[in-house]
Amino acid sequence: MKKRKTDLSRRNFLKRSALLGAGALAVPYLARKGHAASRDRVTIYHSSVADSTHPYNHSSSPIYGNWQHVIEPLIELDYDKKDYVGVLAESWQFQGNKWTFKLRKGVKFHNGAPLTSKDVAFSVEKMRDTKGGSLQAPNFKDVTEVQTPDDLTVIFVTKQPLAIFLDRLENRFILSKVAADKFGDKLYENPIGTGPYKFVSYQRGGNMVFTRNDDYWGGKAAIKEVIFRKVTEDAARLAALESGQADFVNNVPVHEVARLKNHPRVRIDQVEGLRMFFLAFNMEHKPWDNKLVRQAANYCVDAPAIVKNIFDGIGYPCNGPVGSNVIGADPKLKRYPYDPNKAKELLAKAGFPNGCDIQLYYSAGRYPKDKEVCQVVAAQMVKGGFRVELISQEWALFWDRQGVNGGRLPFYYIGRGSLTDADTLYDQYFRTGTTKRTNYSNPDLDKLVEEQQKTAEQKKRVAILQKAGKMIMDEALFVPLYNLADIYGVARNVVWKKRPDEKVLGWEMKIK
Amino acid sequence: MLSMRYLKLWVGGVILLVLCVCGVAAPLLAPRDPQAQTLEDRLRPPRWVENGSTAYLLGTDNLGRDMLSRIIYGSRISLMVGVATVICAGLLGCVLGAIAGYFGSTADEIVSKISEIFLAFPFLLIAIAIMAFLGQGVGNLIMALMLSRWVQFCRVVRGEVFSIKERDFVTAAKALGGRDWYVLFRHVVPNTYASVTVIATFGMAVVIITEASLSFLGLGVPVHIPTWGSMLSEGRSYINRAPWLTIFPGLAIFITVFGINLLGDGLRDVFDPKLRRQR
Repeated sequence: MKKRKTDLSRRNFLKRSALLGAGALAVPYLARKGHAASRDRVTIYHSSVADSTHPYNHSSSPIYGNWQHVIEPLIELDYDKKDYVGVLAESWQFQGNKWTFKLRKGVKFHNGAPLTSKDVAFSVEKMRDTKGGSLQAPNFKDVTEVQTPDDLTVIFVTKQPLAIFLDRLENRFILSKVAADKFGDKLYENPIGTGPYKFVSYQRGGNMVFTRNDDYWGGKAAIKEVIFRKVTEDAARLAALESGQADFVNNVPVHEVARLKNHPRVRIDQVEGLRMFFLAFNMEHKPWDNKLVRQAANYCVDAPAIVKNIFDGIGYPCNGPVGSNVIGADPKLKRYPYDPNKAKELLAKAGFPNGCDIQLYYSAGRYPKDKEVCQVVAAQMVKGGFRVELISQEWALFWDRQGVNGGRLPFYYIGRGSLTDADTLYDQYFRTGTTKRTNYSNPDLDKLVEEQQKTAEQKKRVAILQKAGKMIMDEALFVPLYNLADIYGVARNVVWKKRPDEKVLGWEMKIK
Repeated sequence: MLSMRYLKLWVGGVILLVLCVCGVAAPLLAPRDPQAQTLEDRLRPPRWVENGSTAYLLGTDNLGRDMLSRIIYGSRISLMVGVATVICAGLLGCVLGAIAGYFGSTADEIVSKISEIFLAFPFLLIAIAIMAFLGQGVGNLIMALMLSRWVQFCRVVRGEVFSIKERDFVTAAKALGGRDWYVLFRHVVPNTYASVTVIATFGMAVVIITEASLSFLGLGVPVHIPTWGSMLSEGRSYINRAPWLTIFPGLAIFITVFGINLLGDGLRDVFDPKLRRQR
């Protein structure tokens, strides 16, 4: 066997070390000069960035945000209007079990090819291709056929009338079929779309780079180059922001906010997030089958106090069954006021004059400060006449068939993420049989949920959702707590439009 | 008489005594309920620091609970776990070690192999694995620590018994018609007490630190029982803003372990025949 020669002499070693050292010293300097000072480039350090160049190989909001630079959806949710607006689709119509979309005219892909209904049908096929790595197929589980009667018309045929199809069609991005025919197997290494930015490069664990599409149909973006980098350590992201390597970071820890408010280079922006936290009852378990006990629990948990004290006030107590930023929220609803005496009264009425023993389950470490929150909840409920035992379980055990989804946990602390439409929550938690999470069954509520899922007109649908929301509050089906804030650290010269969905979009930014 | 020779013994003993009093009389000594939350008073610094409150000598934690009371109550868990583990592990280890050492051959073979298996794993790792399997709880914690601690006793006792059983008084006892078990536990084992006492004290210090580590990792006792380890863990994220959340439980662990180690050192000096002869 040939022996490998190592010719790294001491002198060589020293030389190389010196070079490396100098390089390491220069990096922050170069980075500072290169990035933050530029008006043409924004560098975003995010805890979640695409893990591959396969645009359908995930189902996560921040990663949808990455891809939306290059490829675009037919429609998207406008959080200000709380309604869907067209992106590649100009108009749409819902009739029977058909959704008909008219595509925007004159939209061109980055390779010059015009957008047609064939591209939509092709992309849907790719999204349904689970063997090809797509994780987005369930969104089309009710779609039986995609028809393309002409170049600018796409019809989705569903098994049954499906009013909430728009919710599923959001974030379903359209790739170019022409490019796919050209690249074949290498399609996902060369993503070609219609977006305001073009794909430049991607390195795993490194940068994902986009450059501006100057021929964008919707008007040119202000910033020329957008760079995403995945950095999972909170402290590392923050250090990069403070040193000027990054212009924008997400998930700033709550306890760092006060310090950063006076930072010369950095600004803190917070926006109400879409993850809603609540205490859920499983109503097959005693004593939660009793409405009075559920109401008592609602009266003695003081969510505003938790937000104020545990999260330094950076959070939004829910006034009703969903946060105010959710479709179907009812501004007229109020949460149960904090009144431990009333809770005791109700418990006595329900047959627990000497208090009631309960267990509160949670999974420590899954959500921000969950252990502290549950300890406070327990102390508050003790004042309301409950005797609470806190039980923390590993997430897998907590969530799986042994836990929440097997209907085994009587009372638990949980957060529902990406909640943009009340339908999602009501269907998953309170409709008969969808899940075992609460094991609740009420034909009247089922009827409302079903009815709104068939209603095309958003206003009418919202009205039904509000009716369902009121019923949920009256029956005290859970204890809504709060939405937390998404906290961003932003270089002071960066202007952007705050969004609740964790997407960071380059064309919604400007550098002063 | 308090001579320099026994200074370590005395200091260690006094520290341990104070701790025992704290643990036993916690309800009398603690100014407040260690569980009572006063959210408005959260993160109050200790009394002597600016902004401190006279109501809370050592300040309050992130949920507005009195730090002093929590530390006093925390001593209960540390001591209880420390003492109980050492007693259980000591009993198990001594009995197995004595049998292995006295009877030798197959018995020794079996016990030695088992103890080698336990020795092959790092102490904390076994404890973590057992806790993850059994779940939280004081009983489980003692069980986990005992299972990872008995080997030390076993090895030492086995070695001692090996040498003691060859001595003349043992032969004499056998010659007088003493049965094996009688000779073993009446004449041999009592002669190992000196070494066992010393390992027991040092072992207790290690156990208290391990308990704190497990509680720190969230694998110790349930959340509603205050322990120094869990206090450290909860205070960790506030270390810049409210350092007293970590300083005081850290100090408590340090002083306890220091005291116990002093005591162990002192005991060793007392039992050491070489040092005794110098007198």
